[in-house]
Amino acid sequence: MAGGSVTTGAEGSVLLKWIATLGLLIVVAIPCLFIVVQAIFPEFGSGSFAAPFSLFFKTLSDPALFGMAGNTLLLGVGTVICAAVFAVPLAALRALYRVPGALIWDGLLLIPFMIPPYIAALGWIMTLQPRGYLEQVTGFNMASLLFSVSGIMLIMGLNTFSVVYFVLSRTFETIGARYSDVGRVFGAGQWRSFWRITFPLAMPGLAASLLLVFAMSIEEYGTPAALGRRIGFEVLVTGIENRISEWPIDLPGSATLSLVLVGMALVAFMVQRWLLNRRDYRIVGGKPQASDKRSLGVWAVPATLLFAFVALLATGLPILAILATALSRTISGGLKPSNMGLDNFRELLGAGSDGLIALGNSLMLGTTTALLAGLLGAITAYSVVKGRGRFRIVLDALSITPNSLPGVVVGVGIILAWNQPWLPITPYNTPFILLLAYVCILLPQPVRYATASLHQLGDNLESAARVSGAGPLRAFTRIVFPLILPSMVTAMILVFAVASRELVASLLVAPVGFQTIAVYIWQQFDQGSAGLGMAMAFCAVLITTLIPLALISLLRWLTRGSVAGLS
Amino acid sequence: MKRLSLALVMGLLASTAAQADVTVYSAGPGALIKNLAAGFTEKTGIKANVFQATTGKVMARLEAESSNPVADVVVSASWGTATDFSAKGLLLPYESPNAETVPDFLKMEGAVAQGVAGLIIAWNTQSGTPKPADWSDLAKPEYKDLVTLPDPAASGGTYTLVEAFLANDMSDVLQGLKDNGAIVAGANKAALNPVLQGAKAAVFAGVDYITMSAAAKGETVEAIFPTSGTVVAPRPIMILKSSQNQDDAKQFVDYVLSEEGQKAVAKVNLMPSRTDIKVDRPLIGDLKLLSNEGAPARDDVLADFKKIFN
Repeated sequence: MAGGSVTTGAEGSVLLKWIATLGLLIVVAIPCLFIVVQAIFPEFGSGSFAAPFSLFFKTLSDPALFGMAGNTLLLGVGTVICAAVFAVPLAALRALYRVPGALIWDGLLLIPFMIPPYIAALGWIMTLQPRGYLEQVTGFNMASLLFSVSGIMLIMGLNTFSVVYFVLSRTFETIGARYSDVGRVFGAGQWRSFWRITFPLAMPGLAASLLLVFAMSIEEYGTPAALGRRIGFEVLVTGIENRISEWPIDLPGSATLSLVLVGMALVAFMVQRWLLNRRDYRIVGGKPQASDKRSLGVWAVPATLLFAFVALLATGLPILAILATALSRTISGGLKPSNMGLDNFRELLGAGSDGLIALGNSLMLGTTTALLAGLLGAITAYSVVKGRGRFRIVLDALSITPNSLPGVVVGVGIILAWNQPWLPITPYNTPFILLLAYVCILLPQPVRYATASLHQLGDNLESAARVSGAGPLRAFTRIVFPLILPSMVTAMILVFAVASRELVASLLVAPVGFQTIAVYIWQQFDQGSAGLGMAMAFCAVLITTLIPLALISLLRWLTRGSVAGLS
Repeated sequence: MKRLSLALVMGLLASTAAQADVTVYSAGPGALIKNLAAGFTEKTGIKANVFQATTGKVMARLEAESSNPVADVVVSASWGTATDFSAKGLLLPYESPNAETVPDFLKMEGAVAQGVAGLIIAWNTQSGTPKPADWSDLAKPEYKDLVTLPDPAASGGTYTLVEAFLANDMSDVLQGLKDNGAIVAGANKAALNPVLQGAKAAVFAGVDYITMSAAAKGETVEAIFPTSGTVVAPRPIMILKSSQNQDDAKQFVDYVLSEEGQKAVAKVNLMPSRTDIKVDRPLIGDLKLLSNEGAPARDDVLADFKKIFN
C-alpha cells in the first residue's frame, strides 16, 4: 500500500502480447490509418494521392472549429459532472450498505445503458415538448429545460451514469470496509474515513469510468443532434456527421475533424494515466476478506427514495415514453384510450417479419462482438498493465482511440480499408464487416474495465502461480483471468448492449440487404412509422436487458461462489 | 469461449446474402424500393439487392467505395447529386424507352427522375390555428412560435425552396418566419415530428408525400400547396458507369419507369415522373412552380439562410 511507482512484477506472456498487437492492428490501427490518409489526401477514396493537405489546413482554419471544439469540451465535462453526481452516492450506498431491493435497483439502473441514445432523446422530446406526454398527463411542459445546453448535459448524464455506477460500486465493494475500519480505529469519523481512505482507493475505477463517460459523450451523436440543432449548439461530432451525411459529402473534412476529436480523447486518456500511475492502488492481495455490509438504519427510507428517484428519471420516463409511442396508433391522436392498441407490436412480431430477422441478426452480432471484444480487451489490458517496455503505451493508446472516433468515421475508415480492389478476399459486404466495426468501436470498454481491475491486482498471486510451476499463459488463464472475470462480464454486457443497437456505423457499412435492430428502427422513423420503430426499440431494450441478467444468474449458479464478485 | 465465437462467426458467414445481380443504393422511402426490387425480380427473374439509407449516407458510401464501386444503380432524393455525378463522368448515358413521356426537365444524360416530391406546408388540423394558404401566412401572429422548418443543409427539398425564394426576391418571408419564432429542426422528419404531436402547428417547406402518407395513417396533418407557388424535388435514378451489370441495370431502370413501376411510385404518394400515369393527387402539371433562375451558388444560399436564422 506504500506510495511510489508501480513495479511490474510477473512478466506478461509473449504470446498474449503478440495476440494483442495483431488484434489491435487489424481492428483499430488499419481503419485509423486510412482515416489519417483520407484527411491528408482528399482524392484518396478514388485511389489517388493528388493534392496532399489541400483541404487539411482549410478545415483546421475554419473559424467555426473553435466553437465546435469548445462546445464539445463543455458538453463532455458537463456530462461527466452530471453522471458523477448521479452515480457516486448511489454506488457508495450500494457497495457499503445493505440497500433494500439492491438487486432490483441494479437491474433498473442497467436499463438506461440499453436504451439507444437517439431513442432516449426522442423519448424525452416527446415527453417534455409542448403538448408532449407530460403535458397531456399533468398539464405542464418543460421544453425550455429540454432544449438547452444544460438539458443536453442532464440527459446525456442520465444516459451514461450507469457506467460509473456499476464500475464504482464494484470497486467500492472490492475495497470493502476493511481499510476504512482501520481509519476508524485510529479515530476518524465515518465521513472522514470514506473521503480519506475508501474514496481515494476507488480512484482507478472512478477515473476509468469517468474517462469512458467523457469519451462517450464527446463521441455521442444522437442526443446533441436531436436537441442541440434546434438551439444552434454544434459539437465536433455533429459537424463530422453532417459533413458525411449531408450532400455534398466532405470525407476529408470529416476525417480531419475526427483527428481533432481523437486528440481531445488522448489528452483525457493521458490525464487518467497520470492520475493512476501516481499511486499504488493494489488491494486484492489474496487475503480473504469478509464483505459484510452495514445496515442503513433510519436512512433506509431516504436511500430507497433516492434510488427510486434516479431510476424513475433514467429508466422510467424514457421507457414509458417509448411504450406510449409504441402503443399509439397515431402520434397526433395522443394518449387517448381510443388511440392505443397493440397494432405496432403485432406488425413487428408477425411471423417472418423483417423485424424478427433484424432482431436475430443483431443478437448474433452483439453476442459475437461481446465475446471477441472481451477476449481481446482482457489480453490487451494484461499486456499493458503487466507487460514491460515503452511499446505498451502505444497499445494502450491505440485501444482507447476508437472511443473518441465517431461511429460514422470508423465506418468510412473501414470501407476505405477493406474495399480496396487489390484485396484477394475481403469481409466487406458480409456481416463480418459489422463485426469488425463493432469490435473496433467497443474495444475501449473491456480494455478500460480490465485495466482498472488489473491495477487493483497485486503481483504476488501471479508470482505464486509462477513459483509453483505454471507458465505465463497458464498463470493468466488460471489466476488472472478468473480474478478479473467479474469486471469483464460487466464490460461484455455493455459491449453486447451497445453492439446490438449501434446505429451510425451500421447504417453506413451494413452489407447490402442486411438489417440490424438499429437500421430497422431508423428505417421505420424514416418512413414515418414512429410507433413501429418504438415498438422495436422497446423489444430490443427488453431483450438486451434480460439476456445479460439471465446470463449473470446462470454464471453465479454455475460457479457457485468460486469466482468472487459475481453478485 | 473461442470455439463458441468461431461457431457464431461461421453462422454469420452462412447468413451472408448471395451475390446480387443488380445492386441498388437508394434513398428512402424504404417501402418503395422494397416493392420495386420485389416487382423487378418477379418480372425479370433477376435478383435486386438493396442498400437503403438517406441520400447523404448513400453518397458517403459511394464516395468511400469509389476506388472499388459496388453499386450498379443509384436512386437519390436530390437532383443536384445527378448533375454532380454527371459532371464527374460517373454516369452511364442511357435513355430508357419507357422515359418517353417523362418531361424534359426531369431527365438529363445519365439520369431520369424516378418520381417527384413537392414542397408544401404541413399543417396540423387539430392545432387550433387557422388553415394557412400561403407561405407568408406562417409569419402571422397566429403562428407565433408554432412553425418548424427543415435545415436546408440537411434537406434537399428545403434547399431548393430557399434557393427559389432568394431567386424571386422573397427572402422577406424567411425573415418574417424567423421574427415569428420559427425554429430550424434538422432533417424533414425532425421538423414534422413536433407538428404531429402538436408542439408546433405547421412545417414550412414540408415534403408532400411524407405528409400525405402520415395523413393516410390517420395523423391529423394536411399537405397544403401554397398559392404563390412551390418547387419540386425530382428524385434521380442513375446507372453508374463502373457497373459490371449494365444490361441488368438498364432493365431495372426500365422497370422503374414502366407503368407498374410508376404505380409503385404513386403508391407512396410521390408524383410519378411519367405524365401519362394518372393518380389521385396534385401532379406536376397542376402545380404553380417557382423558378430557380438566377439563384446564387449553394454556399451563398446556405450562408444567406444562416444569416437570417442565426
